[in-house]
Amino acid sequence: MSESSGVHCVVVTPEKTELDTQCDSINLPMFDGEFGILPGRAPMVGRLGFGIMKLKNGGKEERWFVDGGFVQVTRDGVYILTDRLLKPESVSKAEAEEDLRKATELKPTTAEAAALRDRALAQARAKLRVAGGV
Amino acid sequence: MANIRQLDKRRKSVRNIRKITRTMELIATARFKKAMDRAAAATDYTKRITQIVQDLGKSGTDVSHPLLQAHETVKAVDMLVLTANRGLCGGYNGSVVRAATQRRQEIQEQADAGQTLASGKRGISALRFAGIPLEKTYTEFEDQPSFDAVAKIADELITRYITGQVDRVDVAYTRFVSSSKQIAVVETLLPFAGIEVPAKDATKEAASGAGSKVEGSSIRDDYEFLPSAGAILEEVVPASFRARLFKCFLDAAVSEQIARMIAMKSATENAGDLIKSLSRTFNRARQSKITQEIMEIIGGVEALG
Repeated sequence: MSESSGVHCVVVTPEKTELDTQCDSINLPMFDGEFGILPGRAPMVGRLGFGIMKLKNGGKEERWFVDGGFVQVTRDGVYILTDRLLKPESVSKAEAEEDLRKATELKPTTAEAAALRDRALAQARAKLRVAGGV
Repeated sequence: MANIRQLDKRRKSVRNIRKITRTMELIATARFKKAMDRAAAATDYTKRITQIVQDLGKSGTDVSHPLLQAHETVKAVDMLVLTANRGLCGGYNGSVVRAATQRRQEIQEQADAGQTLASGKRGISALRFAGIPLEKTYTEFEDQPSFDAVAKIADELITRYITGQVDRVDVAYTRFVSSSKQIAVVETLLPFAGIEVPAKDATKEAASGAGSKVEGSSIRDDYEFLPSAGAILEEVVPASFRARLFKCFLDAAVSEQIARMIAMKSATENAGDLIKSLSRTFNRARQSKITQEIMEIIGGVEALG
C-alpha cells in the first residue's frame, strides 16, 4: 500500500464480494469502539463489532452498516469479512426491536450460552441504534 | 377407423409434453448458471477466512474452540437433510433421502436422541412417509439460498452444540464435484473439522522466546491482533462454520439444477423418439386404410362390369 494511492478496501460477505473500492480512509466499528485506517497502516487482524463503517473519499463519506466479522489489513489492501453489509437506511427498526426482545428473553445457564446471549444483545442494540430507535 | 384418430391424438399430446420438458430444460440451464455464479462468488469469503486462520496459526495461537472439540459421549445426533422443493429432477431427491434414512438408522443404533431437520418439500414428504419424525422443516430454500436464512439454522445448531444438547451434527446433501458429477453424501458438520491450521513450528518458535520470534518472522506475517489471536479465533470458528453450511446449501442448489437439466434433456429426447415411432405407426395405419378403400372400390367396379 503506497502512501499516495489511498486505501484499497474490499468487503466480502459469504454470498459475494460486496464492495471493492479505493478510498482515503476507513472508519470501522471494532468490538470495543471505532477504529480508523489510513494508508500505510501496519498489518493487523481485528474483530469487528456491529455498527457503521465510514469510507471517506475526498469530501464524500459513504456509510454502511456492518454486522460483525473481521478486518484484515495487509500491505495490499484492507479486507473486511462480515456476514452482512447493509445501507443504514435499510436496517429495519421493527426487526431490530424483535431481535432485542428475543435476546432479552434468553435465559442462559452456562458461560457459553451467556456469551451467545451477550453477542445477540450487542447485535440487536447496534441495529436499533442505526435504525434510530434509541 | 378409430385407431388412426387415437394415434394422432396421442402424438399431439406427446408433442405438447416435449414442448414442456424442453422449456423446463432451458429454465434449469439458466438457473444452473445463476446458481453456479453465486457459488463461485461465495468462495471469496472462504478463501479470506482460510487466510486469517493461517495467519493465526503462524502466530502460534493455541487453536481450541467448543465447536472444534468432540464430545466424549455421543448421545444425541442431529441430522439436516437438504432436498429440493420440486420434483422432475431424476434421482436427485431419492438419493439424498436414501443416504439420509440409512444414516438415521445407524444413528439410532448408537444414539438415542437427536433431531432430524429437513429442507425441501420432496424430502419432507419422503421422510415423513418413511416414518421419520421431523422436528423442523424448511421450504424457503429455492435455487438461490440466502445467507441470512442459512445463518439462522447455523446459529441454532451452534447453540445446541455448545450447550451440550447435541453431540454431533450431520448433513445429508448432494455435493457438487464437477458439472458432470454430483454425489449424495452425509457429512459430519459438528464437531467442526473445516479449519486446517498449518502445524508449523510456530508454537515452537513462540516457546523459544519472543526475541527470536521477531527476528524469524517476515514483515508480512507480523500481524497485530485486536483484541488477541485467541479472541479472533473465537469468532472465526463460528463464521467459518456458517460459511461451510452455506456452501452445503449452495452445492445442493447447483446440483438440483444440473439434475433437473439432465432429467429434462432425456425426457425431451424420449418424447422425440416416441413421436417418431407413433408417426410411423400412424402413417402405416393410414396407408393400409387407403389401400383397403381402393381394393373395395375396384372390387365394386368389377362386380358391376
